[in-house]
Amino acid sequence: MKEKKKRFRMDLHKRNSLKGLVFVTPFIIGIALFFIYPIYMSVRLSISEQVAIVGMKMQGFTLEHFVRAFVVDTEFVPTFVEVVKQTLTKFPLTIVLSLIIAVLLNRDIKCRGLFRVIFFIPFLLGSGEVMQQLLNQGVDRSVLNVMDGKLIPYSVLSYFGDTIMNAVQTVFGLLVTVLWGSGVQILLFLSGLQSISPALYEAAKIDGATEWEIFWKVTVPMISPMLLLNIVYTVVNSFTDISNPLLKYIQKYGFTDAEFSYGAALGWIYFAFIGVLVAIIFAVMQKYMHTSEVEEVKKRERKHRVFTIEKAPKRTFE
Amino acid sequence: MSVNTESLQLKKRQNALLNNLQLRWRLFGRKYANLTGAKHIIVRLAMYLLIIGLAFVFLYPFLYMIATSLMSNSDLNSSSVQWLPTEIKFENYAIALQLMDIGRFMKNSLLVTVTASFGHIIACSFIGYGFARYNFPLKKLLFAFVILAFIVPTQTIIIPLYMTYSNLKWLDTYLPLIVPTFFGFGLRGALYVFLFRQFFLTVPKSLEEAARIDGCGFMMTYWRIVFPLAKATLVVALVLSVVWHWNDFYESSLYISSPSLGFLPPRLTSIITAANALPEQQAEMLRQLGLQDGEDTLNNAVVMAGALVISAPVLVFFGFAQRQFMQGIERTGITGE
Repeated sequence: MKEKKKRFRMDLHKRNSLKGLVFVTPFIIGIALFFIYPIYMSVRLSISEQVAIVGMKMQGFTLEHFVRAFVVDTEFVPTFVEVVKQTLTKFPLTIVLSLIIAVLLNRDIKCRGLFRVIFFIPFLLGSGEVMQQLLNQGVDRSVLNVMDGKLIPYSVLSYFGDTIMNAVQTVFGLLVTVLWGSGVQILLFLSGLQSISPALYEAAKIDGATEWEIFWKVTVPMISPMLLLNIVYTVVNSFTDISNPLLKYIQKYGFTDAEFSYGAALGWIYFAFIGVLVAIIFAVMQKYMHTSEVEEVKKRERKHRVFTIEKAPKRTFE
Repeated sequence: MSVNTESLQLKKRQNALLNNLQLRWRLFGRKYANLTGAKHIIVRLAMYLLIIGLAFVFLYPFLYMIATSLMSNSDLNSSSVQWLPTEIKFENYAIALQLMDIGRFMKNSLLVTVTASFGHIIACSFIGYGFARYNFPLKKLLFAFVILAFIVPTQTIIIPLYMTYSNLKWLDTYLPLIVPTFFGFGLRGALYVFLFRQFFLTVPKSLEEAARIDGCGFMMTYWRIVFPLAKATLVVALVLSVVWHWNDFYESSLYISSPSLGFLPPRLTSIITAANALPEQQAEMLRQLGLQDGEDTLNNAVVMAGALVISAPVLVFFGFAQRQFMQGIERTGITGE
């Protein structure tokens, strides 16, 4: 009797995992078709000597390319450090600002739809050549221009002096580029905010929570899955954006100069760095992330209880 | 021992004091916040000021493009004209449209964008649901692959990828851009898988359980219950996918070499080169297009007009789409979770 029941539960388990596999089958096929081979080839390229460009013939095993990147190449490491620095300054700003904007856009303000469209315009223009053209013309610097005396009068300007004004101008320029680049993050946060049940807010209000408390104790935990996604996206995007100088550098070796092996090695060094960073983010965020997985444990306990109750009437049948 | 307990007690007292202070502060705040509506009005005013100020920053490039695209040559060069052109020149748009050969390239762009985005939302929501709801062997490994596909820069694997497509004889067709999207790959496909997984993690299971109890199979449950529930996220993924596919020029320019299969956005470069060309060449180009040389020279205004034309479809699309994700998702009948 007991054994039978156990086997039945095993079957249920198996059935569930089969169902799960059905759902991810397209992805497995995708990996086999479009992912494993390129990855494998790229790794092989990076650790072997390139014999001929045509047909990409290679032989042997060597770590020379990796050594070259750090020891011989004088441009790679400085570019790398520069890119990392840029990302580390931009990414917290992007997350905080886009969260603020998303929260604002989610409130009951007038012309909400119009504002939502406005806040995505740079993104809609932005990922292609159009924005590149605008940046070439220096539009980003003229948005918040403190130097021409329109935002702040000249009398105040002269009081502060040149060095401070230059610093302020740099900060404003950074702010503008960060804001223009945060369209996707706003969109993701907004979709996260939309999926929070209004009942939670009502309950919090009835319990006497202030707006500030509601934000930290309802909104933030509820959008924490989106927060994780957003942080990972922001970091990865700033590292893999086509306009990124380091990627241009890799592109130069891997494509234009036909030094495939060295290009691949550079790519993998870069990728390893991003991978470690993302792993750290995951490890840190996993602790704070609120998912229904927490409730799963409770539910499992509940199920057990139901099970024991179910047992009782069956015994009376026997 | 005694020292320990003493310090513990001291700590307790301090904590109690702190809690008390916090409580008092909150009560104080509530008392005065609700005394009048003044605070409410001030907060709202600040909110509007903030949002309008931010909106200006975001709207700036668009306004700049519109203003510049309508300017004549003399307006562009004069320093007194910054925003409002002295005379509005719609001819710039006509020139831009002709230079870009819009009819053919618009069709190509639309075809690929629509099919690829469709593939993304169908496949990625499906895969993401599997990752969020079910446990199966090698789940962690597979999910690691999702992250891997997301963070490996395309530039790292572009050459082997190119070779794969060339072995499949897919080069110079739209297949390398479309087919991978139906398997959760393609242009940032892994991001959407991740997005849907994160979304489904927050959705309570009650509805699906109810469906199962009513005798709904798992595929039907997905299609009838879960898929409609994810409407807001679907729209988000659709918007992202459409915009990225529309603006993409890196991969598409690699796989597609014949000019008749090209896309609209890269045509902007043809305008830019025309605008930067020597005056004699410009005159030649204009003559070829059957336009009068003289007043309407090729300049930055034409470039901006072209840029606006290129981004117009996504702007219109987004205007419609945002209404969809504003409505949010309805979770009728789910309580206590």
